[in-house]
Amino acid sequence: MRRPALITVLVAWAIYLFLIAPSLIVIPMSFNGSTELMFPPRSFSLHMYHEFFHGSDWLQATRESILVAIGTMLLSVAAGVPAAYALARAEFAGKRLLGVVLLAPMLVPTIVGALGLYLYLVHLGLAGTTAGLILGHTTLTTPFVIVIASASLRQIDPNLETAARIMGAGPLLVFRRIVLPRLYPAAVAAALFAFLISFDEVVIAWFISGVGTATLPVKMYSAIHWEVSPVLPVISTLLTLLSLVVCTVGALLRRRDAADV
Amino acid sequence: MTNRHALIFLGPVALLMALGFFVPLGQIFFTSVDGPKLSLRPFTELIDSRLFWLVLQNTFAISVEAMLASLLLAYPIAYHLSRVTPRRRAAYMILVLLPFWTSILVKSFAFTVILGDHGIVNNILRALFGEIGVVPLLFNRTGVVIGSVHWLLPFMVFPILVNLLAQGSDLHYAARVMGAGRTRIFLRITLPLSIPGVLAGCVITLVLSLGSFVTPALLGGRRDLMMASLVDFYTRISLDWAIAAAIAVLLLAITGGLILLLTRLPGEHRLI
Repeated sequence: MRRPALITVLVAWAIYLFLIAPSLIVIPMSFNGSTELMFPPRSFSLHMYHEFFHGSDWLQATRESILVAIGTMLLSVAAGVPAAYALARAEFAGKRLLGVVLLAPMLVPTIVGALGLYLYLVHLGLAGTTAGLILGHTTLTTPFVIVIASASLRQIDPNLETAARIMGAGPLLVFRRIVLPRLYPAAVAAALFAFLISFDEVVIAWFISGVGTATLPVKMYSAIHWEVSPVLPVISTLLTLLSLVVCTVGALLRRRDAADV
Repeated sequence: MTNRHALIFLGPVALLMALGFFVPLGQIFFTSVDGPKLSLRPFTELIDSRLFWLVLQNTFAISVEAMLASLLLAYPIAYHLSRVTPRRRAAYMILVLLPFWTSILVKSFAFTVILGDHGIVNNILRALFGEIGVVPLLFNRTGVVIGSVHWLLPFMVFPILVNLLAQGSDLHYAARVMGAGRTRIFLRITLPLSIPGVLAGCVITLVLSLGSFVTPALLGGRRDLMMASLVDFYTRISLDWAIAAAIAVLLLAITGGLILLLTRLPGEHRLI
Protein backbone atom coordinates (compact mmCIF):
# COMPACT_ATOMS: atom_id res chain seq x y z
CA MET A 1 0.00 0.00 0.00
CA ARG A 2 1.17 3.54 -0.73
CA ARG A 3 2.55 5.82 1.91
CA PRO A 4 -0.01 8.28 3.29
CA ALA A 5 -0.28 11.70 1.65
CA LEU A 6 1.36 14.65 3.40
CA ILE A 7 -1.96 16.19 4.35
CA THR A 8 -3.02 12.93 6.07
CA VAL A 9 0.22 12.89 8.03
CA LEU A 10 -0.18 16.51 9.14
CA VAL A 11 -3.81 16.07 10.21
CA ALA A 12 -2.95 12.84 12.02
CA TRP A 13 -0.10 14.52 13.89
CA ALA A 14 -2.33 17.36 15.03
CA ILE A 15 -4.73 14.79 16.50
CA TYR A 16 -1.89 12.77 18.09
CA LEU A 17 -0.84 16.01 19.76
CA PHE A 18 -4.36 16.53 21.11
CA LEU A 19 -4.30 12.95 22.42
CA ILE A 20 -0.97 13.16 24.14
CA ALA A 21 -0.97 16.80 25.35
CA PRO A 22 -2.92 16.32 28.61
CA SER A 23 -0.57 13.53 29.74
CA LEU A 24 2.52 15.59 28.92
CA ILE A 25 1.39 18.89 30.37
CA VAL A 26 1.17 17.64 33.94
CA ILE A 27 4.85 16.65 34.06
CA PRO A 28 6.45 20.14 33.96
CA MET A 29 3.67 21.44 36.21
CA SER A 30 4.61 18.95 38.91
CA PHE A 31 8.04 20.60 39.28
CA ASN A 32 6.45 24.00 39.84
CA GLY A 33 7.99 26.06 42.64
CA SER A 34 4.91 28.03 43.65
CA THR A 35 1.73 26.67 45.21
CA GLU A 36 -0.27 28.32 42.46
CA LEU A 37 -1.01 26.00 39.54
CA MET A 38 0.50 27.35 36.36
CA PHE A 39 1.79 26.33 32.99
CA PRO A 40 4.53 26.84 32.03
CA PRO A 41 5.96 26.83 35.57
CA ARG A 42 8.09 29.84 36.52
CA SER A 43 10.51 28.08 38.87
CA PHE A 44 11.76 24.56 39.48
CA SER A 45 11.27 22.71 42.75
CA LEU A 46 10.57 19.26 44.13
CA HIS A 47 8.49 20.79 46.90
CA MET A 48 5.20 19.25 45.75
CA TYR A 49 6.74 15.77 45.57
CA HIS A 50 7.87 16.23 49.15
CA GLU A 51 4.35 17.34 50.02
CA PHE A 52 2.85 14.20 48.44
CA PHE A 53 5.24 11.71 50.00
CA HIS A 54 4.99 13.28 53.44
CA GLY A 55 1.33 14.29 53.46
CA SER A 56 -0.28 11.45 55.38
CA ASP A 57 -3.78 11.60 53.84
CA TRP A 58 -2.61 11.31 50.22
CA LEU A 59 -0.31 8.43 51.16
CA GLN A 60 -3.14 6.73 53.04
CA ALA A 61 -5.32 6.91 49.92
CA THR A 62 -2.44 5.59 47.80
CA ARG A 63 -1.96 2.64 50.15
CA GLU A 64 -5.66 1.83 49.97
CA SER A 65 -5.53 1.98 46.16
CA ILE A 66 -2.53 -0.35 46.02
CA LEU A 67 -4.24 -2.80 48.37
CA VAL A 68 -7.43 -2.83 46.31
CA ALA A 69 -5.53 -3.07 43.01
CA ILE A 70 -3.43 -6.03 44.17
CA GLY A 71 -6.48 -7.87 45.47
CA THR A 72 -8.34 -7.17 42.24
CA MET A 73 -5.39 -8.25 40.12
CA LEU A 74 -4.94 -11.60 41.88
CA LEU A 75 -8.63 -12.41 41.99
CA SER A 76 -9.39 -11.51 38.37
CA VAL A 77 -6.40 -13.41 36.95
CA ALA A 78 -7.15 -16.47 39.09
CA ALA A 79 -10.77 -16.46 37.89
CA GLY A 80 -10.33 -15.12 34.34
CA VAL A 81 -7.48 -17.21 32.93
CA PRO A 82 -9.04 -20.65 33.63
CA ALA A 83 -12.38 -19.30 32.37
CA ALA A 84 -10.79 -18.21 29.08
CA TYR A 85 -9.27 -21.69 28.73
CA ALA A 86 -12.62 -23.44 29.23
CA LEU A 87 -14.31 -21.04 26.80
CA ALA A 88 -11.61 -21.69 24.20
CA ARG A 89 -11.42 -25.49 24.44
CA ALA A 90 -14.51 -26.99 26.05
CA GLU A 91 -17.74 -27.65 24.19
CA PHE A 92 -20.95 -27.37 26.16
CA ALA A 93 -24.44 -26.04 25.72
CA GLY A 94 -24.76 -22.30 26.27
CA LYS A 95 -21.05 -21.58 25.76
CA ARG A 96 -21.60 -18.63 23.47
CA LEU A 97 -24.16 -17.16 25.83
CA LEU A 98 -21.78 -17.58 28.77
CA GLY A 99 -19.07 -15.79 26.80
CA VAL A 100 -21.38 -12.82 26.28
CA VAL A 101 -22.55 -12.87 29.91
CA LEU A 102 -18.96 -12.82 31.21
CA LEU A 103 -18.13 -9.79 29.08
CA ALA A 104 -21.31 -7.92 30.07
CA PRO A 105 -19.63 -5.69 32.67
CA MET A 106 -17.56 -4.17 29.85
CA LEU A 107 -20.72 -3.07 28.08
CA VAL A 108 -22.91 -1.97 30.98
CA PRO A 109 -22.28 1.63 32.08
CA THR A 110 -20.06 1.60 35.16
CA ILE A 111 -22.45 3.88 37.01
CA VAL A 112 -25.17 1.20 36.79
CA GLY A 113 -22.89 -1.51 38.20
CA ALA A 114 -21.62 0.89 40.84
CA LEU A 115 -25.09 1.81 42.08
CA GLY A 116 -26.18 -1.84 42.09
CA LEU A 117 -23.15 -2.93 44.07
CA TYR A 118 -23.63 -0.05 46.50
CA LEU A 119 -27.28 -0.94 47.16
CA TYR A 120 -26.35 -4.61 47.51
CA LEU A 121 -23.44 -3.96 49.88
CA VAL A 122 -25.56 -1.61 52.00
CA HIS A 123 -28.08 -4.46 52.19
CA LEU A 124 -25.30 -6.81 53.38
CA GLY A 125 -23.79 -4.19 55.68
CA LEU A 126 -20.54 -4.25 53.69
CA ALA A 127 -20.61 -0.76 52.14
CA GLY A 128 -17.38 1.14 52.63
CA THR A 129 -15.24 -1.98 53.04
CA THR A 130 -12.07 -2.83 51.12
CA ALA A 131 -13.47 -6.29 50.32
CA GLY A 132 -16.53 -4.71 48.68
CA LEU A 133 -14.30 -2.48 46.58
CA ILE A 134 -12.18 -5.42 45.46
CA LEU A 135 -15.32 -7.33 44.48
CA GLY A 136 -16.57 -4.39 42.42
CA HIS A 137 -13.26 -3.83 40.66
CA THR A 138 -12.83 -7.53 39.95
CA THR A 139 -16.06 -7.65 37.95
CA LEU A 140 -14.67 -4.79 35.87
CA THR A 141 -11.21 -6.28 35.25
CA THR A 142 -12.08 -9.97 34.79
CA PRO A 143 -13.61 -9.42 31.30
CA PHE A 144 -10.33 -7.75 30.24
CA VAL A 145 -8.36 -10.71 31.58
CA ILE A 146 -10.63 -13.12 29.67
CA VAL A 147 -10.25 -11.16 26.41
CA ILE A 148 -6.45 -10.99 26.70
CA ALA A 149 -6.09 -14.65 27.67
CA SER A 150 -8.47 -15.71 24.88
CA ALA A 151 -6.40 -13.84 22.28
CA SER A 152 -3.30 -15.66 23.50
CA LEU A 153 -5.05 -19.06 23.55
CA ARG A 154 -5.88 -18.64 19.87
CA GLN A 155 -2.12 -18.65 19.20
CA ILE A 156 -1.52 -21.87 21.13
CA ASP A 157 -1.68 -25.09 19.14
CA PRO A 158 -4.41 -27.30 20.67
CA ASN A 159 -2.62 -30.38 19.26
CA LEU A 160 -0.08 -30.08 22.06
CA GLU A 161 -2.89 -30.47 24.57
CA THR A 162 -4.39 -33.37 22.61
CA ALA A 163 -1.00 -35.10 22.60
CA ALA A 164 -0.70 -34.69 26.36
CA ARG A 165 -4.24 -36.04 26.81
CA ILE A 166 -3.41 -39.12 24.72
CA MET A 167 -0.39 -39.71 26.92
CA GLY A 168 -2.79 -39.88 29.84
CA ALA A 169 -2.71 -36.40 31.40
CA GLY A 170 -5.99 -35.13 32.88
CA PRO A 171 -7.41 -31.70 31.94
CA LEU A 172 -6.10 -30.04 35.09
CA LEU A 173 -2.58 -31.37 34.51
CA VAL A 174 -2.70 -30.32 30.86
CA PHE A 175 -3.81 -26.83 31.89
CA ARG A 176 -1.04 -26.52 34.45
CA ARG A 177 1.85 -28.08 32.53
CA ILE A 178 1.06 -27.33 28.88
CA VAL A 179 -1.26 -24.32 28.71
CA LEU A 180 -0.18 -22.13 31.63
CA PRO A 181 3.51 -21.92 30.67
CA ARG A 182 2.51 -20.75 27.19
CA LEU A 183 -0.11 -18.35 28.55
CA TYR A 184 2.37 -16.86 30.98
CA PRO A 185 3.21 -13.62 29.09
CA ALA A 186 -0.46 -12.90 28.41
CA ALA A 187 -1.38 -13.64 32.02
CA VAL A 188 1.27 -11.21 33.28
CA ALA A 189 0.08 -8.55 30.83
CA ALA A 190 -3.51 -9.15 31.93
CA ALA A 191 -2.47 -8.85 35.58
CA LEU A 192 -0.75 -5.51 34.90
CA PHE A 193 -3.77 -4.15 33.07
CA ALA A 194 -6.09 -5.37 35.83
CA PHE A 195 -3.91 -3.61 38.40
CA LEU A 196 -3.96 -0.38 36.40
CA ILE A 197 -7.72 -0.44 35.74
CA SER A 198 -8.41 -0.92 39.44
CA PHE A 199 -5.80 1.62 40.52
CA ASP A 200 -7.33 4.30 38.26
CA GLU A 201 -10.99 3.38 38.73
CA VAL A 202 -13.12 6.14 40.19
CA VAL A 203 -16.86 5.53 39.66
CA ILE A 204 -17.23 2.29 41.64
CA ALA A 205 -14.77 3.55 44.25
CA TRP A 206 -16.75 6.80 44.57
CA PHE A 207 -19.88 4.82 45.46
CA ILE A 208 -18.38 1.99 47.51
CA SER A 209 -15.48 3.44 49.45
CA GLY A 210 -16.11 4.93 52.86
CA VAL A 211 -14.30 7.54 54.93
CA GLY A 212 -11.44 5.27 55.91
CA THR A 213 -11.24 3.45 52.59
CA ALA A 214 -11.14 6.36 50.12
CA THR A 215 -8.86 5.42 47.22
CA LEU A 216 -6.47 7.75 45.45
CA PRO A 217 -8.86 8.43 42.52
CA VAL A 218 -11.69 9.23 44.97
CA LYS A 219 -9.49 11.71 46.78
CA MET A 220 -8.30 13.16 43.47
CA TYR A 221 -11.89 13.52 42.25
CA SER A 222 -12.83 15.51 45.33
CA ALA A 223 -9.63 17.53 45.09
CA ILE A 224 -10.25 18.51 41.46
CA HIS A 225 -13.89 19.25 42.23
CA TRP A 226 -13.52 21.30 45.38
CA GLU A 227 -10.06 22.57 46.14
CA VAL A 228 -7.61 22.07 43.22
CA SER A 229 -4.68 21.03 45.38
CA PRO A 230 -1.15 21.86 44.14
CA VAL A 231 -0.24 18.19 44.73
CA LEU A 232 -2.48 17.18 41.80
CA PRO A 233 0.20 17.61 39.10
CA VAL A 234 2.53 15.36 41.11
CA ILE A 235 -0.05 12.58 41.41
CA SER A 236 -0.97 13.03 37.76
CA THR A 237 2.67 12.71 36.73
CA LEU A 238 3.13 9.55 38.79
CA LEU A 239 -0.08 8.05 37.37
CA THR A 240 1.00 8.92 33.82
CA LEU A 241 4.34 7.17 34.39
CA LEU A 242 2.53 4.13 35.77
CA SER A 243 0.28 4.05 32.68
CA LEU A 244 3.28 4.40 30.39
CA VAL A 245 5.12 1.51 32.07
CA VAL A 246 2.07 -0.76 32.09
CA CYS A 247 1.07 -0.07 28.50
CA THR A 248 4.65 -0.50 27.19
CA VAL A 249 5.36 -3.70 29.14
CA GLY A 250 1.87 -5.00 28.31
CA ALA A 251 2.39 -4.33 24.59
CA LEU A 252 5.79 -6.07 24.63
CA LEU A 253 4.40 -9.10 26.44
CA ARG A 254 1.51 -9.37 24.01
CA ARG A 255 3.43 -8.85 20.75
CA ARG A 256 2.72 -12.45 19.71
CA ASP A 257 -1.04 -12.15 20.30
CA ALA A 258 -1.32 -8.66 18.86
CA ALA A 259 -4.10 -9.57 16.45
CA ASP A 260 -6.33 -7.17 18.34
CA VAL A 261 -5.93 -4.33 20.78
CA MET B 1 -12.81 -31.63 28.49
CA THR B 2 -15.77 -32.98 30.41
CA ASN B 3 -18.56 -30.87 31.85
CA ARG B 4 -17.19 -31.49 35.32
CA HIS B 5 -13.85 -30.00 34.35
CA ALA B 6 -15.47 -27.07 32.57
CA LEU B 7 -17.25 -26.42 35.86
CA ILE B 8 -13.93 -26.36 37.73
CA PHE B 9 -12.53 -23.83 35.27
CA LEU B 10 -15.65 -21.69 35.06
CA GLY B 11 -16.99 -22.03 38.61
CA PRO B 12 -14.91 -19.29 40.24
CA VAL B 13 -15.61 -16.74 37.52
CA ALA B 14 -19.33 -17.53 37.58
CA LEU B 15 -19.48 -17.06 41.34
CA LEU B 16 -17.53 -13.82 41.19
CA MET B 17 -19.65 -12.32 38.42
CA ALA B 18 -22.87 -13.41 40.10
CA LEU B 19 -21.93 -11.82 43.43
CA GLY B 20 -20.24 -8.71 42.11
CA PHE B 21 -22.37 -7.94 39.09
CA PHE B 22 -25.55 -9.87 38.43
CA VAL B 23 -27.01 -9.92 41.94
CA PRO B 24 -26.31 -6.16 42.26
CA LEU B 25 -28.00 -5.66 38.88
CA GLY B 26 -31.01 -7.53 40.26
CA GLN B 27 -30.87 -5.31 43.33
CA ILE B 28 -31.26 -2.27 41.06
CA PHE B 29 -34.39 -3.67 39.42
CA PHE B 30 -35.75 -4.61 42.84
CA THR B 31 -35.07 -1.14 44.26
CA SER B 32 -36.46 0.64 41.19
CA VAL B 33 -39.94 -0.80 41.85
CA ASP B 34 -39.81 0.22 45.53
CA GLY B 35 -38.78 -3.24 46.68
CA PRO B 36 -41.52 -5.73 47.58
CA LYS B 37 -44.20 -3.07 46.99
CA LEU B 38 -43.74 -3.51 43.23
CA SER B 39 -44.92 0.03 42.60
CA LEU B 40 -44.06 2.06 39.54
CA ARG B 41 -43.90 5.26 41.60
CA PRO B 42 -40.18 5.89 40.89
CA PHE B 43 -40.77 5.71 37.15
CA THR B 44 -43.90 7.84 37.11
CA GLU B 45 -42.16 10.38 39.32
CA LEU B 46 -39.28 10.52 36.83
CA ILE B 47 -41.62 10.96 33.88
CA ASP B 48 -43.23 13.90 35.67
CA SER B 49 -39.89 15.43 36.60
CA ARG B 50 -38.76 18.34 34.46
CA LEU B 51 -35.21 17.92 35.72
CA PHE B 52 -35.10 14.35 34.45
CA TRP B 53 -36.20 15.27 30.92
CA LEU B 54 -33.70 18.09 30.85
CA VAL B 55 -30.92 15.76 31.95
CA LEU B 56 -31.99 13.07 29.47
CA GLN B 57 -31.90 15.64 26.68
CA ASN B 58 -28.48 16.88 27.84
CA THR B 59 -27.14 13.37 28.02
CA PHE B 60 -28.17 12.56 24.46
CA ALA B 61 -27.06 15.90 23.04
CA ILE B 62 -23.61 15.70 24.67
CA SER B 63 -23.17 12.04 23.76
CA VAL B 64 -24.10 12.50 20.11
CA GLU B 65 -21.89 15.59 19.78
CA ALA B 66 -18.99 13.75 21.40
CA MET B 67 -19.56 10.70 19.19
CA LEU B 68 -19.56 12.72 15.95
CA ALA B 69 -16.53 14.76 16.97
CA SER B 70 -14.71 11.54 17.94
CA LEU B 71 -15.49 10.05 14.55
CA LEU B 72 -14.17 13.13 12.81
CA LEU B 73 -10.88 12.94 14.73
CA ALA B 74 -10.55 9.15 14.89
CA TYR B 75 -10.85 8.46 11.19
CA PRO B 76 -7.69 10.34 10.10
CA ILE B 77 -5.74 8.62 12.87
CA ALA B 78 -7.01 5.15 12.00
CA TYR B 79 -6.33 5.85 8.33
CA HIS B 80 -2.81 7.04 9.05
CA LEU B 81 -2.10 4.02 11.29
CA SER B 82 -3.36 1.65 8.60
CA ARG B 83 -1.04 3.14 5.97
CA VAL B 84 2.31 2.94 7.80
CA THR B 85 4.59 -0.08 8.22
CA PRO B 86 3.76 -2.45 11.12
CA ARG B 87 6.89 -1.32 13.01
CA ARG B 88 5.91 2.34 12.79
CA ARG B 89 2.31 1.47 13.58
CA ALA B 90 3.40 -0.10 16.86
CA ALA B 91 5.26 3.11 17.71
CA TYR B 92 2.42 5.47 16.75
CA MET B 93 0.03 3.17 18.57
CA ILE B 94 1.65 4.24 21.86
CA LEU B 95 0.26 7.73 21.20
CA VAL B 96 -3.25 6.26 21.19
CA LEU B 97 -2.72 3.65 23.90
CA LEU B 98 -1.11 5.97 26.45
CA PRO B 99 -4.17 8.24 26.70
CA PHE B 100 -6.36 5.11 26.64
CA TRP B 101 -4.58 3.78 29.72
CA THR B 102 -4.26 7.15 31.46
CA SER B 103 -6.57 7.84 34.39
CA ILE B 104 -9.59 9.91 33.41
CA LEU B 105 -8.85 12.07 36.45
CA VAL B 106 -5.39 12.95 35.14
CA LYS B 107 -6.92 13.91 31.81
CA SER B 108 -9.73 15.91 33.40
CA PHE B 109 -7.29 17.72 35.66
CA ALA B 110 -5.03 18.50 32.70
CA PHE B 111 -8.02 19.87 30.78
CA THR B 112 -8.93 22.20 33.64
CA VAL B 113 -5.43 23.63 33.23
CA ILE B 114 -5.54 23.70 29.42
CA LEU B 115 -9.07 25.06 28.97
CA GLY B 116 -9.55 27.47 31.89
CA ASP B 117 -9.99 31.23 31.45
CA HIS B 118 -6.32 31.57 32.37
CA GLY B 119 -5.44 28.23 30.82
CA ILE B 120 -2.97 27.51 28.07
CA VAL B 121 -5.36 27.91 25.14
CA ASN B 122 -6.84 31.15 26.39
CA ASN B 123 -3.45 32.60 27.31
CA ILE B 124 -2.33 32.04 23.73
CA LEU B 125 -5.56 33.59 22.42
CA ARG B 126 -5.13 36.52 24.82
CA ALA B 127 -1.59 37.09 23.61
CA LEU B 128 -2.78 37.07 20.00
CA PHE B 129 -6.07 38.97 20.18
CA GLY B 130 -6.25 40.57 23.62
CA GLU B 131 -9.22 40.08 25.99
CA ILE B 132 -11.76 39.69 23.16
CA GLY B 133 -9.96 36.56 22.02
CA VAL B 134 -10.76 34.70 25.25
CA VAL B 135 -13.29 31.89 24.73
CA PRO B 136 -15.10 30.18 27.63
CA LEU B 137 -14.01 26.55 27.24
CA LEU B 138 -14.35 25.19 30.74
CA PHE B 139 -17.36 24.47 32.97
CA ASN B 140 -19.68 24.50 29.97
CA ARG B 141 -20.86 22.22 27.17
CA THR B 142 -17.67 22.80 25.16
CA GLY B 143 -15.52 21.58 28.03
CA VAL B 144 -17.58 18.40 28.48
CA VAL B 145 -17.46 17.61 24.76
CA ILE B 146 -13.69 18.22 24.50
CA GLY B 147 -13.03 16.05 27.55
CA SER B 148 -15.40 13.33 26.31
CA VAL B 149 -13.86 13.28 22.84
CA HIS B 150 -10.42 12.84 24.33
CA TRP B 151 -11.67 9.95 26.44
CA LEU B 152 -13.62 8.30 23.58
CA LEU B 153 -11.13 8.69 20.72
CA PRO B 154 -9.26 5.39 21.25
CA PHE B 155 -12.55 3.48 21.39
CA MET B 156 -13.41 4.92 17.98
CA VAL B 157 -9.92 4.42 16.51
CA PHE B 158 -9.67 0.69 17.33
CA PRO B 159 -12.69 -0.67 15.41
CA ILE B 160 -12.01 1.58 12.41
CA LEU B 161 -8.35 0.58 12.38
CA VAL B 162 -9.19 -3.14 12.57
CA ASN B 163 -11.53 -2.66 9.62
CA LEU B 164 -9.04 -0.66 7.53
CA LEU B 165 -6.30 -3.21 8.16
CA ALA B 166 -8.60 -6.03 7.10
CA GLN B 167 -9.28 -4.37 3.73
CA GLY B 168 -7.06 -6.18 1.24
CA SER B 169 -4.66 -4.03 -0.74
CA ASP B 170 -5.56 -5.85 -3.99
CA LEU B 171 -8.66 -3.74 -4.48
CA HIS B 172 -6.70 -0.52 -4.04
CA TYR B 173 -4.01 -1.78 -6.35
CA ALA B 174 -6.54 -2.70 -9.02
CA ALA B 175 -8.15 0.73 -8.77
CA ARG B 176 -4.78 2.40 -9.03
CA VAL B 177 -3.84 0.38 -12.10
CA MET B 178 -7.10 1.47 -13.68
CA GLY B 179 -6.03 5.06 -13.10
CA ALA B 180 -7.92 6.11 -9.96
CA GLY B 181 -6.26 8.80 -7.82
CA ARG B 182 -5.87 8.78 -4.02
CA THR B 183 -9.05 10.74 -3.36
CA ARG B 184 -11.13 8.60 -5.68
CA ILE B 185 -9.80 5.37 -4.15
CA PHE B 186 -10.57 6.68 -0.68
CA LEU B 187 -14.09 7.82 -1.50
CA ARG B 188 -15.10 4.86 -3.66
CA ILE B 189 -13.33 1.95 -1.93
CA THR B 190 -11.81 2.64 1.49
CA LEU B 191 -14.60 4.74 2.98
CA PRO B 192 -17.61 2.59 1.94
CA LEU B 193 -15.85 -0.60 3.03
CA SER B 194 -15.06 0.89 6.44
CA ILE B 195 -18.70 1.64 7.33
CA PRO B 196 -19.07 -1.44 9.63
CA GLY B 197 -16.02 -0.31 11.62
CA VAL B 198 -17.38 3.22 11.81
CA LEU B 199 -20.79 2.02 13.02
CA ALA B 200 -19.21 -0.24 15.64
CA GLY B 201 -17.10 2.68 16.87
CA CYS B 202 -20.14 4.96 16.97
CA VAL B 203 -22.19 2.52 19.06
CA ILE B 204 -19.33 1.85 21.50
CA THR B 205 -18.56 5.54 22.03
CA LEU B 206 -22.25 6.43 22.32
CA VAL B 207 -22.80 3.74 24.97
CA LEU B 208 -19.75 4.85 26.95
CA SER B 209 -20.65 8.50 26.67
CA LEU B 210 -24.27 8.02 27.79
CA GLY B 211 -22.98 6.63 31.09
CA SER B 212 -20.15 9.09 31.59
CA PHE B 213 -19.80 10.47 35.09
CA VAL B 214 -16.40 12.06 35.71
CA THR B 215 -16.07 14.28 32.63
CA PRO B 216 -19.35 16.22 32.93
CA ALA B 217 -18.91 16.54 36.69
CA LEU B 218 -15.40 18.00 36.42
CA LEU B 219 -15.44 19.88 33.11
CA GLY B 220 -19.11 20.82 32.78
CA GLY B 221 -21.16 23.59 34.29
CA ARG B 222 -24.33 23.38 36.36
CA ARG B 223 -26.43 23.02 33.22
CA ASP B 224 -24.45 20.09 31.80
CA LEU B 225 -25.76 17.50 34.22
CA MET B 226 -25.83 13.99 32.72
CA MET B 227 -27.70 10.83 33.76
CA ALA B 228 -24.81 9.44 35.84
CA SER B 229 -24.56 12.67 37.84
CA LEU B 230 -28.29 12.46 38.47
CA VAL B 231 -27.90 8.89 39.76
CA ASP B 232 -25.17 10.13 42.09
CA PHE B 233 -27.36 13.05 43.22
CA TYR B 234 -30.33 10.85 44.11
CA THR B 235 -28.11 8.27 45.81
CA ARG B 236 -25.99 10.54 48.00
CA ILE B 237 -27.74 13.88 48.33
CA SER B 238 -31.47 13.29 48.21
CA LEU B 239 -31.14 9.65 49.38
CA ASP B 240 -34.01 8.53 47.16
CA TRP B 241 -32.51 5.20 46.12
CA ALA B 242 -35.64 4.09 44.27
CA ILE B 243 -35.38 7.04 41.89
CA ALA B 244 -31.64 6.52 41.47
CA ALA B 245 -32.29 2.86 40.63
CA ALA B 246 -35.06 3.78 38.19
CA ILE B 247 -32.67 6.09 36.31
CA ALA B 248 -30.10 3.30 36.24
CA VAL B 249 -32.70 0.89 34.82
CA LEU B 250 -33.56 3.36 32.06
CA LEU B 251 -29.87 3.93 31.29
CA LEU B 252 -29.38 0.17 31.15
CA ALA B 253 -32.34 -0.23 28.79
CA ILE B 254 -31.06 2.48 26.45
CA THR B 255 -27.51 1.16 26.30
CA GLY B 256 -28.74 -2.44 26.06
CA GLY B 257 -30.84 -1.48 23.03
CA LEU B 258 -27.84 0.16 21.38
CA ILE B 259 -25.64 -2.88 21.98
CA LEU B 260 -28.31 -5.17 20.54
CA LEU B 261 -28.18 -2.93 17.49
CA LEU B 262 -24.42 -3.43 17.33
CA THR B 263 -24.77 -7.22 17.23
CA ARG B 264 -27.17 -6.85 14.29
CA LEU B 265 -24.65 -4.81 12.32
CA PRO B 266 -22.68 -6.47 9.54
CA GLY B 267 -19.10 -7.54 10.21
CA GLU B 268 -17.32 -9.53 12.89
CA HIS B 269 -17.22 -8.23 16.45
CA ARG B 270 -16.02 -11.35 18.19
CA LEU B 271 -13.92 -10.76 21.27
CA ILE B 272 -13.60 -14.34 22.49
